[in-house]
Amino acid sequence: MASDALRNQVATKWQESFNRLNRGSPGISGLMLFSEQAWTVASAFLYPRDLGEPPKDFNNQKIRTAFDVLMQCRMLPMLLESFVEDMRKRQHLITRDVEEYMAQYEATNSPSTIASLILRLADWYATWAPGGELGHTISAAFVTAFQTHIFSVLPPAFAGGFKRLIASTLELSTEAQDSRLWTAFEVLGLADRYEALIASVCYEHIEEHVLATCKGKWDEPMLPTLREWMADNVLPWMLLPYARGAKTTDEAKTMLQGVGSRFDFHVCKTLCDLRTQEVFDIVIDYPDSTPALQDLKECLQRVDQRAQLVQAIRKANKRRLLHPGADTKDILTQYVSIIRCLRIIDPPGVLLFKVADPIRRYLRERPDTIRSIVASLVADSESGDSLVDENEPIQPLSVAQIDDYMDPNWEPEPIDAGPEFRTNKPSDVISTLVSIYDSKDLFIKELQVLLAQRLLAVTDGDYEKERRNIEILKIRFGEAPLQVCEVMLRDMTDSRRIDQHVKTQQPSILHPTIISRHFWPQLQSSKIVMPGQLRSIQESYSKEYTLFKPDKKLRWLSHLGTVNLDIQLQDRTITADVPPLEAAFIELFSEKDSWSVEELISRVGAVERGVAVKALLTWVDLGVLKEEEGHTFRLLETADSSGGLRPSGSRTIIDEQPTVVTVQQQQAEQMRVYWKFIEGMLTNLGSLPLDRIQTMLKFAQGYDRTVDQLAGFMEAARREGLVTVREGLWRLNRG
Amino acid sequence: MKVVINRWHAIAQWQWDTGRTDEHGDTEEDVCGICRVPFEGCCPTCKMPGDDCPLIWGECSHVFHMHCLLKWIGTPASKQQCPMDRRPWVTAERKVSGS
Repeated sequence: MASDALRNQVATKWQESFNRLNRGSPGISGLMLFSEQAWTVASAFLYPRDLGEPPKDFNNQKIRTAFDVLMQCRMLPMLLESFVEDMRKRQHLITRDVEEYMAQYEATNSPSTIASLILRLADWYATWAPGGELGHTISAAFVTAFQTHIFSVLPPAFAGGFKRLIASTLELSTEAQDSRLWTAFEVLGLADRYEALIASVCYEHIEEHVLATCKGKWDEPMLPTLREWMADNVLPWMLLPYARGAKTTDEAKTMLQGVGSRFDFHVCKTLCDLRTQEVFDIVIDYPDSTPALQDLKECLQRVDQRAQLVQAIRKANKRRLLHPGADTKDILTQYVSIIRCLRIIDPPGVLLFKVADPIRRYLRERPDTIRSIVASLVADSESGDSLVDENEPIQPLSVAQIDDYMDPNWEPEPIDAGPEFRTNKPSDVISTLVSIYDSKDLFIKELQVLLAQRLLAVTDGDYEKERRNIEILKIRFGEAPLQVCEVMLRDMTDSRRIDQHVKTQQPSILHPTIISRHFWPQLQSSKIVMPGQLRSIQESYSKEYTLFKPDKKLRWLSHLGTVNLDIQLQDRTITADVPPLEAAFIELFSEKDSWSVEELISRVGAVERGVAVKALLTWVDLGVLKEEEGHTFRLLETADSSGGLRPSGSRTIIDEQPTVVTVQQQQAEQMRVYWKFIEGMLTNLGSLPLDRIQTMLKFAQGYDRTVDQLAGFMEAARREGLVTVREGLWRLNRG
Repeated sequence: MKVVINRWHAIAQWQWDTGRTDEHGDTEEDVCGICRVPFEGCCPTCKMPGDDCPLIWGECSHVFHMHCLLKWIGTPASKQQCPMDRRPWVTAERKVSGS
């Protein structure tokens, strides 16, 4: 409880103090005056002046007192308001400057104008800024107001100019960087406002560099080089916008971490895009382009663009590979390269599975795919047309593996694998090629045909290469399917043995290859009879053979083989390698000098006229015969000067007609047999749908065609006018 | 004019001399009565045709793959008869002597 005396004393003291503050003026006018003075001083200090005006000289002590007073009077918010209002009023000064500089920029398009503009704005900022000692509230209010003003007056063209300015700084070295400029960016809030723009400048810079250095450059890994480039060139620059406040290297590192990985990602993405575009040519260049593939693999791990890659390859394949203009062999080569390339990029084979499917489907439709594959199987590696890398170990064809549910190391299928995808162990290229078709029987058949062609062409008894090939293929396809080839090779050996035996009995110029006919592909059949000495040569050989092998006899395939003969004419001798038919004809000319084609044909038996004429023309070409009126040919005992002298000497005439019936021809031949059945059922039953015909044909022995093949055949028959089709019903065409 | 043959590389097929003349060529081919495989092929147990899988001629004029016939004769049901005409099987001397 305070006593009255104390109360009085306090009142007296208060009055005394008040009077001193009021400076003895009446009422509170002195006090008012005092704060008014403070207000004037403070607002004059804050007043945004023109850059051209000289800075006013203020007494720091006075200003601080003035602000103290205002703060005590709680008038700071009002002061702030009036300051902002003043700024608004003076804003036209900045607007004027901005317009001036922008006009200049529009005229020159030079980023340095923008730089000057920004520095100028920074000057404005510095001049207008209230000192930091006035407290955070005032500076924050100022910054907001100032930036709002600037951004409202900057024209849209500024963004473009700013971008160019940033781009121009990228080209400068670290030392040449204008740090004032970057400080200005920061101060003016441009760094935050245009952050996306700055990043995009950097992205573009990266893209440009990647395109310039990596395009078409596949023979060395580019990714490490690019990262080095980033560290050397882009990183120092990145310190300016992204690590400005950093004091130590560690601090800078943490600040750059996020943005750095963003840029690294962009490098990967750009490279990935580029390589994806180029992928078809990269595959063509394989194996020289292996480094590029390694890059792509690394990029794909960072950037998820596997789907795009698949799309790109599929599109390129469709456009550049899977069209009628491409050679089957080229398609196969490219397919094998794709297999190898994608195995580098994606070892589990998911990408390959997605890419390979259209190629495989396309290859299945090509008629000569099997032949090409088989040809490359047995091709010698020296000639370079082998698809198989000889370093790859020869292994049996892998068969589709069934999931082993007991396998403790089982791994689920990759996440982007389709439902069709089967995890197969990386199988060799040949297995992959053979698996284009469901059965390997077709390959075996084609292989036989090819082997037969090669063996029958062998005249010098050197078929070691074929033997080696068959041994290799046995490892792949297994022993049993190649049994037939084994017999063919043994026929070759036996023929040689028999030939040697016959030679000891009686020298012979005839060296036949004696074949077991059920084990060879069907050969072109023809029944020509050899005339004259040719026949006697054959007969004497047959006799020797039967003496050697009492239970066997020979049947000559007279139209096959080659004869090397000399034709001794009056003025010249001609040596030639010719097919037997040619030899037979010229032999007949030793009986008389002039023959008509019909006469000749009747002497050798069943020969088509076209074939006969072709054989005769061979001799005309060699200058031995001359064609005369009425399809007769006359022997030129002396060289015909009018027709021009042909150079005498050895010339080889190679019969381009294949000796062995191709698988296709064989199938066509078989189909002819089934035509009889079809004709029969259509006669009896009227009209039938296709699947009904197929079902009935299945009763026929050895019928193994698919409905599609049958449809193709029926279509062919329709074109020939044998059948008609209406609403899916086939019927015989009865005129 | 004179034609001199220096070298002739020809192609021929061998055939068993079954005693039948085959003027028809290869249209009607002879098959073993037991395994129904052509004589020039081989019996089901063999892999190589020809001398490794020879024929056997019977007095009854029937011809089989030797392996096929011997297997047949080896079964009790055969009663040592030719499977075609049920006459006792007698191998024709003349032919087998060679093989």
